[in-house]
Amino acid sequence: MGDVVSLVRTHNSEEDIKKSIGKALDLIDFKPKSLVKSVDIKVNLCYYWHAATGYTTDPRIVAGIIDCLRERYGTGIHIRIVEADATAMRTKHAFVMLGYEKLAREKSVELFNLSNDETHEETVRVNRHEIVFQIPQSLLKSDLFINAPKLKTMRDTKITCALKNLFGCIASPRKIVYHPILDEAIVGINKILHPDLIIVDGLVALGRFPIELGLIMVSVDPFSVDWIASQIMGYNPSKIKFLKIAMKEKLGKLEGIKTRGENLITFKKTFPKENFFSSKHWWNFQLQLLKLYHRIVKDVIPPALEEV
Amino acid sequence: MLNVGIIGLGHMGRLHMMNCLHVDGIKVVAAADSSKRALKKAKLVGVKNLYMDYHDLLNDSSNVNAVIISLPNFLHLESVQLALEAGLDIFVEKPLARNVKECRKIVKLVKSSGKKLMVGHCMRFIDAIEKMKVVADKGRIGNLEVVTIEQILSGPFAHGTVPAPVPEWWFDPKKTGGGALLDLGYHLIDLFRFFVGMDGKILFSCFDHKFNLPFEDGAIAILCSSDSSVKGIINVGWYQKSVFPEYNFRAILHGNAGYMSSDDLVPRNIILHAVKEGAKNFLRKVVGKKIRPLSYSYYYESYYKELQHFFECVKNDSEPSVSAMDGLKTIELIEEAYKGFGERQFT
Repeated sequence: MGDVVSLVRTHNSEEDIKKSIGKALDLIDFKPKSLVKSVDIKVNLCYYWHAATGYTTDPRIVAGIIDCLRERYGTGIHIRIVEADATAMRTKHAFVMLGYEKLAREKSVELFNLSNDETHEETVRVNRHEIVFQIPQSLLKSDLFINAPKLKTMRDTKITCALKNLFGCIASPRKIVYHPILDEAIVGINKILHPDLIIVDGLVALGRFPIELGLIMVSVDPFSVDWIASQIMGYNPSKIKFLKIAMKEKLGKLEGIKTRGENLITFKKTFPKENFFSSKHWWNFQLQLLKLYHRIVKDVIPPALEEV
Repeated sequence: MLNVGIIGLGHMGRLHMMNCLHVDGIKVVAAADSSKRALKKAKLVGVKNLYMDYHDLLNDSSNVNAVIISLPNFLHLESVQLALEAGLDIFVEKPLARNVKECRKIVKLVKSSGKKLMVGHCMRFIDAIEKMKVVADKGRIGNLEVVTIEQILSGPFAHGTVPAPVPEWWFDPKKTGGGALLDLGYHLIDLFRFFVGMDGKILFSCFDHKFNLPFEDGAIAILCSSDSSVKGIINVGWYQKSVFPEYNFRAILHGNAGYMSSDDLVPRNIILHAVKEGAKNFLRKVVGKKIRPLSYSYYYESYYKELQHFFECVKNDSEPSVSAMDGLKTIELIEEAYKGFGERQFT
């Protein structure tokens, strides 16, 4: 069964963000499965780009989540903000550069690099591919595992939100090795890790360019979140490859997906949809053209495009 | 034929190596880098002598005439000193070194060696900048009054097509010598000196730390020419997400008879420009003419042009237009900006 996704409009003040998160939680009538003593919040810090670019989870959203959790489950809960190194990003630097070290000091929470965690290897089969993941162990031990992704488009997978953010939990930094089968890898990691709650940061969303969307989405089902998120971002969700694979792998169902709160159309209208010139096809066409030019003319290629 | 060694095969070193392949009368005979992968790339383009340690290249440099040094900033002084001791002419990436003390030492060493040293002040070689300098010197905009130059990019945090971590030394201000002002501001302060044709002094500077790092990721400096007749405004930053081919740079010369902006002299549509220049190179290739390397990117071409200039100077025994002294003067202004306005010194 799909699940309820709440959509709440928020503004930039920390107090307003906290209230909006609380409202979004109430709209889905969220109740944790067990007594909450420890919480892990998985943010999306894919690179050293400020939250205002729309790429990374806004620390203000995480501050709101922390305040909300303490209000509901007491000030004694142990909260960790978690992220793993990526091919180009090192979590230790991202925490500092994107304001998380400051946030951790102010809110007395722990910052944790999942790439430094004890891991175990898990193999899953998706679409006839055997995929091996290094899974951080401590992530499986928290009472409440919150996925706090961004609402953004991406050249390779069209959209990235709840399901894709868990790809960032893989402990091994060189995640680029999964890119040839990225859609399958996204589904694969979601077969292993199951967050209890998804709180989407749509404060600044990213399409063709960043936009202050002022949206908070909450659900307990990542598939339902991504189904609604892709509609907001102007895509037909049934044409998103990893969502199709997720359905095939029984990670999500269409029946029962519904929204509460704001109408998604109001966000969809203002979202800067991708067009051909910002698409993967146009980018790849340019790279192929450059590659061909390089082969024939033997001209120099700038280091930024070195793979060519 | 001039035999060249490349020391350091990071982004800039590899770019210089590839550019060398297009300069007439130049042969890259040796390369050094601690990365085997980088050396493999050098081997693929025909470089015969490969070294994991640049000291070995310099100790074994009997068949080398000049070296291109593209090492991290903290290794500039040492590598320049050793290359001069080996009797080689040097092209060194900017900045000349981390601070005034190191730069002065290099200037002294170059002077006593009699060898040539050129610093990679590539922005002087951008077509638009060259045109602006010529037009301004002819008096077309009257007396030059104010120069405003800005460059806001990702700096070392740029994300390549193939993702790779930012080298750790960039996060250590003791190894870099500074932040955005030393990295990008170095070019802009040099351009100010280039346009006004004399030295400068710092009037004001302020620094940003948007990324909470122990060095600035943004800086604004106001300076004036040594005779106080021309003012300059420098605005640099590492904080902007920029992806190739985006290039957020502009210089504006304000005179009392008019003004000139680099924005009016660079291609408005960089994709169309690339296609047009690429087609021209293709035709040159077809009719057997020499191509214009990197002309499809109006700013990357400057890296080729600066190297071409350096090698011409070595061959003709003339002085490069950018000397060690230019590197020192630029660093003096940067250090003045850091010292005078409360920014800590890193080295």
